[in-house]
Amino acid sequence: MKRFTAAALAAIVAALSPSVFAQWPLYPLSGVPRGPDGKPDLTAPAPRTADGKPDLSGIWMRSDETEKPGGQPAGRPPLATFGNAGAGFKDGLPFQPWAADLHKKRAADHGLDNPDALCLPQGPLQYHLDPQPRKIVQLPGQILIIHESNYGLRTIYTDGRTLPPQGEPQPYWHGYSVGRWEGDTLVVESNNFRGPLSGQPADGWLDTTGSPYTDALRLTERFRRVNFGQLDIEFTVDDPKAYTRPFTVRIDQRIVADGSEMIEFICHENQMFLKLTGRAP
Amino acid sequence: MKTKLAVIVAVAGLLVAARPVAAHHAFAAEFDADKPVKLTGAVTKIEWTNPHAWFYLNVTDETGKVTNWGLEMGSPNGLMRAGWSRNSLKVGDVVTVEASRAKNGTPNANARVVILKATGQRLFAASSQGQQQP
Repeated sequence: MKRFTAAALAAIVAALSPSVFAQWPLYPLSGVPRGPDGKPDLTAPAPRTADGKPDLSGIWMRSDETEKPGGQPAGRPPLATFGNAGAGFKDGLPFQPWAADLHKKRAADHGLDNPDALCLPQGPLQYHLDPQPRKIVQLPGQILIIHESNYGLRTIYTDGRTLPPQGEPQPYWHGYSVGRWEGDTLVVESNNFRGPLSGQPADGWLDTTGSPYTDALRLTERFRRVNFGQLDIEFTVDDPKAYTRPFTVRIDQRIVADGSEMIEFICHENQMFLKLTGRAP
Repeated sequence: MKTKLAVIVAVAGLLVAARPVAAHHAFAAEFDADKPVKLTGAVTKIEWTNPHAWFYLNVTDETGKVTNWGLEMGSPNGLMRAGWSRNSLKVGDVVTVEASRAKNGTPNANARVVILKATGQRLFAASSQGQQQP
């Protein structure tokens, strides 16, 4: 008995042809600038909100770009990767000795405590580089970053408030973030992370090999929507407990313009990882 | 003739999505890429769930003993973005799977390719194997 008719196969192919991200029925995205040929013009200027600021809203995917160490454009920080925040540094990250040891142990354990594998919040850098999409919703007074992966939700307050003191409020998986505009760049400062030193081994993973961060992390991100299609993020880690000096890496994201949506990802509904690694019946 | 061409084109479309499309990494903590298995059998159950879709296969060995294997695939999010639908695989389908064995010795494995016996179609399983790139 034939599983697929020719018509069904043609429908599958038609659904795939605009983008490999076609999944739910595609619904045309409004507001996409088009070139003279009618195709999306991803190099058109970034849209702006009513107050004249660049609008970062949209569904964004990490780009496919790769870089050799030292290969970044002049004056720019190197690209981080999902597996290794320090991929672009010849000598790796400037770990404190205990952090270097923890990084080695985490890699040797093959990511046993990686929050990504445990359906837990992945931390700010993993979230930027996760292969699943994220939706930025820019509102007056706050910007939300909603991640398809592991229920991630970051709130960046842009209403003029300043960061709370460290330890107040309770440290978060996501940290506490405030943002302000410097020209067309959104500068976001975050504190009140927690990390592994308080006893949660799945906390404080910058990447999937487990480069750590701690509650001393003062994170600065600079978001710049280069044009309609590209979001450039500089990510500066200032964490004297885990690193001997601050360092900056770069993330490159591209807009999803074909009407693809985020898909529900209820990570806990059939979580077999604990069973297969001997930590649950 | 038209059907055969459509099969080839559809398979080409499914092969395009080589990039990782879902996260949930810790492949090497659960599975051993150096312990490949090739299993053929009939599908007994499909769990179209996150974080990984699973299907179960009755595999008969040379002695006639039947073992029910569990095969882990990528998340439905990743599978759909790679061209699968919930109905790409059905209970009763006979498939051959190329997979990596679970480290704990149980009859579970991480599927990389699923080949449908009826059509010969090769479906990539959006596996997290090979995504742990630095």
